[in-house]
Amino acid sequence: MTAQKTKHQASFRDPSGYMFYDGNVLKRAINPIYFPQYEALTESGFFQTLFDRGLLIAHTETARSAERIEITPQVIPFISHPYEWSFDQLKHAALLTLQLQKHALTKGFILKDASAYNITFHQGRPVFIDTLSFDFYEENTPWRAYKQFVMHFLSPLVLAHYHGGEMLKLSQNQIDGIPVALTASLLPFKSRWSSTLYTNIHLLAKLEAKHNDEYRESGRVITLSKKAQLNMIEALFEYIKDLKMHQETEWGDYYDKTNYTAESFNFKKQQLSEWVQRTKAKTLVDLGGNDGTFARCILPEMDLAIVADIDPNAVAQNYRQVRSNNEKNMLPLRLDVLQPSPGIGLNNQERGAMIDRLSDFGPDITLALALIHHVTLSGNVPFVSSAAFFARFSKYLVIEFPKRNDSWVHSLLVRKREFINHFDHYHQEAFENDFSTLFTIEDQIEIPQSARILYLMKRKNN
Amino acid sequence: MRYISMMFLYFDPGLGAMLVQAIVAAAAGILLFSKNVMYQVKSFFGLTKTKDDSYDSIDLEDDDTQKHDSTKN
Repeated sequence: MTAQKTKHQASFRDPSGYMFYDGNVLKRAINPIYFPQYEALTESGFFQTLFDRGLLIAHTETARSAERIEITPQVIPFISHPYEWSFDQLKHAALLTLQLQKHALTKGFILKDASAYNITFHQGRPVFIDTLSFDFYEENTPWRAYKQFVMHFLSPLVLAHYHGGEMLKLSQNQIDGIPVALTASLLPFKSRWSSTLYTNIHLLAKLEAKHNDEYRESGRVITLSKKAQLNMIEALFEYIKDLKMHQETEWGDYYDKTNYTAESFNFKKQQLSEWVQRTKAKTLVDLGGNDGTFARCILPEMDLAIVADIDPNAVAQNYRQVRSNNEKNMLPLRLDVLQPSPGIGLNNQERGAMIDRLSDFGPDITLALALIHHVTLSGNVPFVSSAAFFARFSKYLVIEFPKRNDSWVHSLLVRKREFINHFDHYHQEAFENDFSTLFTIEDQIEIPQSARILYLMKRKNN
Repeated sequence: MRYISMMFLYFDPGLGAMLVQAIVAAAAGILLFSKNVMYQVKSFFGLTKTKDDSYDSIDLEDDDTQKHDSTKN
């Protein structure tokens, strides 16, 4: 059998090797230039230690010749990108990077790059996925990936610390990380009083500007003792560990202030769990899933539940629960249904668009609870378009439709003021008709003590 | 046997970023030292509280790799 081999779109930066698809299997080829590092990392047990602790994605060597070594990493069902994470997730990924750098240093190695794309979330925690990022440590050399660390991690984190979660989206426009000068200019003056921020951001920006034009290295040797480097890494770790995002949003305590009664809340949960059993779903994506409350009640049946929400606080809250409950099958992500993260980088393919990745993942069931009225009334999206959107991902769709007399719908309609009549199409019959072009309604049920209907739909033409 | 690192090959670490690390590290050293002193003073007066966070420490827990290394030699 000769399976087709295609190079991964994001794998061209590092000459050490590249990722490729062997048929459907993602593998990594290692070039001879990296053989010494690979052998040393394998033989010293360095890789194994990190595999055992779940810090580095495990791999097995599947082919070897003088020209290349081929390794097959453990499969990660869904790759998420840094600008899709909550503050706490990015922070956890930053801490993992520093942890790995420190551990590497004590073993005579180093992280040669510190890109946030080297990490993704798998089984409830960040895991390092770029196996070829380790290199030999040379005595008394500074950390070459330091600036990259600042641009990919420290910058978005401190910006979100001062200005809120929307700053994390800045990384979407800067595939190589946020320029240090930009971060410095966006930070408030008082940030200079922090010795960590003064040195790592403001001073760095200044020195960068000063030495920007010096292309010739002129044999200049810059040294930094290992002890000094360890201090630097440890202080960054301590600083980032205590960092918090300051922002309140209208959704943070959403479930405390809805008009749901306990009875309708429980009814919704129970109905959901019944339908999940009926459809035998093992994977799901919950769009507008808030802090994962509903996905969590069917979580034991799931292999993987991706819960996406627009609100950074809800996603952060969800991630905190993932960690405290030690959930391995829940992935909280940020997603604005009306502007999902696009493909970025070379040919817009280096880091794929979120909805393409979700389609490829192809969850068994899509949940859209308490979402359609926002999409239709705030986003002005016609029902046929939202039906087409939901049909992209899975065979089954569970969707909640709040009727016109629902208090949320009412408040959204009132905000339309003199255009309120342009939204007369927002009613149950139109919703059912338009969704029926792409879905068959398998079941529907009124949620007691509410003006909402829950539907189970099945995609046509599977 | 010593191999030459290949890090120079594919991205510019930035001269300013290399230079600044000595200063960053010095400030970090002072910060860590003073934090440690404060901790000692506080714990002497019984003022330390255990923080409720579940992030790992920077050191890998149960680091048995030390053992692993020493048995190998």
